Amino acid sequence: MIGQILGHCRITAKIGEGGMGVVYRAQDEMLHRDVAVKVLNKSAGPEPSSGGRNLLEEARASSALAHPNICTIYEVGESEGELYIVMELVEGKSLRALSRDAGLPPESVLRYGIQIASALSRAHDKGIVHRDLKAANIVVTAEGLVKVLDFGLAKRLDPEAPNEAGTRSFVTMRDSTSVSGTLPYMAPEILRGEPADYRSDLWALGVVLYEAAAGRLPFEGRTGFETTAAILRETPKALDPSFPLGLWAIIQHCLAKEPRQRYQRASEIQAALEALQSAVVVFKDPVAGNNAPRTTVMHSVRNIQVRKGDSLLLVGTTKGAFLLRSNPHRTRWELGGPYFHGHGVNAMAFDGRAGRHRIWASTQSIWGTLLRFTDDFGKTWTNPQEAPIRFPADAGVSLKNIWQITLGPPDEPDVLYCGVEPAALFETRDGGETWSLVRGLFDHPHRPRWMPGNGGLALHTILLDQSNSRRLYVAISSGGVYRSDDGGCSWTAQNRGIRAVFMPNKYPEFGQCVHKIAMHPARPERLFLQNHWGLYRSDDFAETWTDVANGVPSDFGFAVVVHPQKPDCVYIVPVESDEFRCTCDGRLRVYRTRNAGASWEPLTRGLPQKGAYETILRDAMTADSFDPAGIYFGTRSGQLYASRDEGKSWQRLVEGLPPVVCIRSADFEEPGASPRSLTPKPPQLPKSPKSASSSSSRGHSRSKSRPSHKSRRSGK
Amino acid sequence: MPATFHIPGPLRQFVAGRDTVEIADTPSTLADALSALWLLYPGLRDRIATEQGHVREHINIFIGEEDVRYTGGLLSPLAPNSEIWIVPNISGGAT
Repeated sequence: MIGQILGHCRITAKIGEGGMGVVYRAQDEMLHRDVAVKVLNKSAGPEPSSGGRNLLEEARASSALAHPNICTIYEVGESEGELYIVMELVEGKSLRALSRDAGLPPESVLRYGIQIASALSRAHDKGIVHRDLKAANIVVTAEGLVKVLDFGLAKRLDPEAPNEAGTRSFVTMRDSTSVSGTLPYMAPEILRGEPADYRSDLWALGVVLYEAAAGRLPFEGRTGFETTAAILRETPKALDPSFPLGLWAIIQHCLAKEPRQRYQRASEIQAALEALQSAVVVFKDPVAGNNAPRTTVMHSVRNIQVRKGDSLLLVGTTKGAFLLRSNPHRTRWELGGPYFHGHGVNAMAFDGRAGRHRIWASTQSIWGTLLRFTDDFGKTWTNPQEAPIRFPADAGVSLKNIWQITLGPPDEPDVLYCGVEPAALFETRDGGETWSLVRGLFDHPHRPRWMPGNGGLALHTILLDQSNSRRLYVAISSGGVYRSDDGGCSWTAQNRGIRAVFMPNKYPEFGQCVHKIAMHPARPERLFLQNHWGLYRSDDFAETWTDVANGVPSDFGFAVVVHPQKPDCVYIVPVESDEFRCTCDGRLRVYRTRNAGASWEPLTRGLPQKGAYETILRDAMTADSFDPAGIYFGTRSGQLYASRDEGKSWQRLVEGLPPVVCIRSADFEEPGASPRSLTPKPPQLPKSPKSASSSSSRGHSRSKSRPSHKSRRSGK
Repeated sequence: MPATFHIPGPLRQFVAGRDTVEIADTPSTLADALSALWLLYPGLRDRIATEQGHVREHINIFIGEEDVRYTGGLLSPLAPNSEIWIVPNISGGAT
């Protein structure tokens, strides 16, 4: 073809190839200018006649569009059976190439977006829909001028279409034989087989703007099917938080799934982008926000005076946090709080590692969810400017709640984990300065199929294997139990034997509504699990689970706590059913097993046995580390009960609190005091989950006097 | 011709205790005005918007007397001297 003459143009070089034809650079020998010539590629087209028609349509359509941002058509011709179009030669880079990888700065996105919208506006006014707008079809010249190319799929809408208002309506375009265009830019209505109209171009413009801003497409998949599903169902992942909110809002408005919810005209988008471009915000008040308080003091709050050796209870309720302290006798308790009036405090933890005595709390209100801490037992709390735990922009979801705060291993005092809603795990390795999403779990292929339970889709339990710092467990409602053996990089579902009564398949790989799991640090191969119906034990690192609801009035419940020194001793509070969710028969009974679930006994002394319709939520029970151990629980009716003799007898510590969500216990020792080893020495452990053997009574030494100040694991 | 934000009590700790904040010049849309607001006072951003850039579920924003849900959301146009009210939803407090 090189050297040939078409009309009065001599072909000099091939510069590109598209679906409909090959594009050549040529010299117009009559007007002495460089031009581009597009020649129908016969081999590429299904049949020459249809390709030819399309090429002519392209020519006719584009030649009607005289606009600085639309590539100009000069001539259409046929030479020796070759159909060709002579058009303006545009030299520059495609928007796709410019925005690849990191995306463009917002100013550039605005500048180019305005020009593209202007081009579309002209085309639509002429009754022409582009139908294949994409970043590869948009060229930016060295001067920053945008040219929209390739109206190869354009169709002229019926120009005679009557309209009552005298302006053009959105005449629909039906092509019953095929769907044309480029998949990642196709609007949902096209994929649904519905008629496309001008607004399908506006969707594509939204995709182009997003791609220009982010350097990636808003909807992607490994296969065409996945991409189609993403376009139809998913919301585009948020752009970087520093990206101008106004521009992000315009892009989102373009990407509304329903055409009627989008902009209705390209000119509207152009106007919105121009308005944003002209908005120069000048601050006459140069006050920097960074001088806002980094800590907050709660006024009108009673604070507790904590002394060395004191025992503490951290109580989170739907309306704030409370702290209780007692001397080691645990007979009289002093109440402090409420901290964070009106905020839900869904998770608390005490961190006594590395000489700290830090209390963590998550607070939830209409103003968002924050993770805070106090180092002075509640007198001052951190008041972060930015939410410390936040999903990255590309995650596509926002934090609703923090349901669990769990300390990392004792020898890694700056490691902590948080379990959140929507279900995800966050990790810090610098003592809480920065948190990051644990991608290995968030990107797990099961995640899209986890379903929210009654309390939302929450990752509510995190357990660490103290004999193997690489092994972690999480529990998700409703997703089930997952285990990582490589420090959180990869995760496997571990739900064999756990029933999901609400699923068609009663024993699925995942999807169980697990309410709580618990482990004794000395027996990491053994876990106990309270399910949404079902009480289970695993003796092989959660590889398999066995029902141990032997003699309990109901196997429905929430909390499960392992005795701090006795690995076979476990506490639960059965409730009647998933519909009633209150203690059975109006009797408040804690049940205890001392043989790892072979049998259970009710513990009732001091607890109301008539008219007590109580609910104890999954984190509203805990144990201290004294010997004999103290067991504590709180109710949704705001009562706090304690036993300092391992459950034989109970006393009500407090009543009248807001509904209790979580309780943790802690012992306060002087910073630097050496931990006392009351935790039984770990027995010999199986090397790996696969080789774990079942054992119900392997030896553990009795603890002596008082335990260490180690914080309570939140899995209790 | 500034736009003026009226700051609710719980958020005044982040704006040096003020009950109003003026954005000099006229931002053309609510989104621009909010972007300016939390450039000035970063503590406000995460309290008003989610990390995905949406106004939180139980927070209402009014321009004058109009709820912006009915005037174009974040793209609601601002006239000169607009008064913008950030108002907690009365349903926001859980029982």
